[in-house]
Amino acid sequence: MPASSPTTDSSARQWALLATPLVVFLLLFLGFPTVVDLIYSLSRVSFETLRSPSLSGVENYVAALADPGFWSAAWFSLRFGIITAAAECIVGLALAVYLAPLLEKRAWLMAPLMLPLMVAPAMVGLMYRLVLHEFVGPVPYYLYLWFGNSPTFLDAGSAFWTLVVVESLQWTPFAFLLFYAAYEAIPDEVRQAAAIDGANSLQTLTRIELPLMAPTLAVAAFIRFIDGFRVFDNVYTLVGSGPGGATTSMSIYIYEAFFKQGAIGKAIAASVVLFAASFAVLFVLGWLARRRGPAT
Amino acid sequence: MKRAPRWIVYVVAVLVLNFPVIVTLVTSFKSGGELSVNPGLWVNQPTFDNYLKVLTVSDRLNIYGYLGNSLVASLIGSLLAIALTFPAAYAVARGNFGRRLLLPTVVNLRAVPLIIFAIPIYMMFQWLGLLDTQLGLGLILTIVNLPLAFIVLANAIADLPIELDEAARIDGAGTFTIMVRIIWPVTRAAVTTVAIFGFITAWNEFLFGLMLTTTKAVPVTVGASFFFAASGGGVQWGPASAVMIVGALPPMLLGLLMYRQIGGSLTAGAVKG
Repeated sequence: MPASSPTTDSSARQWALLATPLVVFLLLFLGFPTVVDLIYSLSRVSFETLRSPSLSGVENYVAALADPGFWSAAWFSLRFGIITAAAECIVGLALAVYLAPLLEKRAWLMAPLMLPLMVAPAMVGLMYRLVLHEFVGPVPYYLYLWFGNSPTFLDAGSAFWTLVVVESLQWTPFAFLLFYAAYEAIPDEVRQAAAIDGANSLQTLTRIELPLMAPTLAVAAFIRFIDGFRVFDNVYTLVGSGPGGATTSMSIYIYEAFFKQGAIGKAIAASVVLFAASFAVLFVLGWLARRRGPAT
Repeated sequence: MKRAPRWIVYVVAVLVLNFPVIVTLVTSFKSGGELSVNPGLWVNQPTFDNYLKVLTVSDRLNIYGYLGNSLVASLIGSLLAIALTFPAAYAVARGNFGRRLLLPTVVNLRAVPLIIFAIPIYMMFQWLGLLDTQLGLGLILTIVNLPLAFIVLANAIADLPIELDEAARIDGAGTFTIMVRIIWPVTRAAVTTVAIFGFITAWNEFLFGLMLTTTKAVPVTVGASFFFAASGGGVQWGPASAVMIVGALPPMLLGLLMYRQIGGSLTAGAVKG
């Protein structure tokens, strides 16, 4: 079978062959773990009996779903994802539109704005331990100096909002980057036509530019929501699960159930529930995209 | 000076967004004595002592070990992701193979909280003896890099004129030869970008480093926090700041160098994915 004269059949096999390493890798490192997840979620298992799980039905799921901690973690992640995504997109959009005239002629100005994206979120969490420290941190220091008082940033009441700010400040540049690219991709003729029709710059923005950027807005909001929902690194290094578990995100809940409590079954059941939830979200989004696709 | 307000907004945005890095950088040059009286954003008597302390190997802390682990694992995570996705991306772009299942599956991984695979992978690594090894960490970092690598490379290959392939095929070249000799050289820019950004992403990963390593293969994102508790008593903020700067510097420098390409591929990966 000479490669130079591919029949449809043999060329299909060649394409499949090229994709094989990736498929094998996925089956090994994601397919197999998925199967293990499903089996172990239905089994009684401890660190001692890790290799010999005994089927036990849905009791792990009952344990996870009956745990108030599971629901408060889900609630934390949901709120955190929505609020940070909204904050990042709003600020990112405002910056992209406002700074566009400045950046168009000086591309290098992008680099300092993108820098936060290059720092490990875990490192950023550690850095804020310094920034907010009551004795050596500049933020409490200057607040005392200027206002004579400083809030405690990491107690049960304020830790959530502190983390929202920490997460948003790091990832606003991501939203900004996407919006700036979308903004720049709008052809100048479109803006000129709007100007000729007598639209002022606010009208151009709300009637022309924002609708054209809508797909990008949706994508950025979705990506940022997902990353906010599954947040782990910066929360873990800054406050852990927080005072009284106040900052237990879904990822931290699973991590602690497994490593700290040794509740393997519960942790895995929670993983599967999370898996099913993200699968459902992706399925619905895919369905929406397909439905919209042919229509437009 | 119509532009002045924009410049002010720009400078404020840069300072606020990079505030934690700026504070850490400033603090890393303060002596312990100065730190206790001056938490402000300036340094009275700059010193390199914190860096010297961090860069000196002690019996419990070895910064070179952590940096080395991050380097090796990130290289594996970055290069293996390309080795796996490049042929598959070629199959998607030219053979239409995997466009309906393989590509969406991998790209959607971006939206799946990877913690759901963490526990079985931990067990699997225990069986395979991959816990606390650079290779094991590198394999997981590969997973993290697959979605962006796949979509960016598939787009890069799809953007090439099909005449390239056809001309080579007329000359008698097979599919594999065309991929290696024709397609690979002309996608070098995209491959480099994917490699660099994959390296940055891998270097900055934390969750799997925390779960899958304990002593021998600890990456710097995890190892940095060891310095916080190093002296028994309270945190020594000078050395702690220095280690954060040392650990954050490689990806930041790469990012500054390649910001244009990274910005392009992030945008393309998000919007086209």
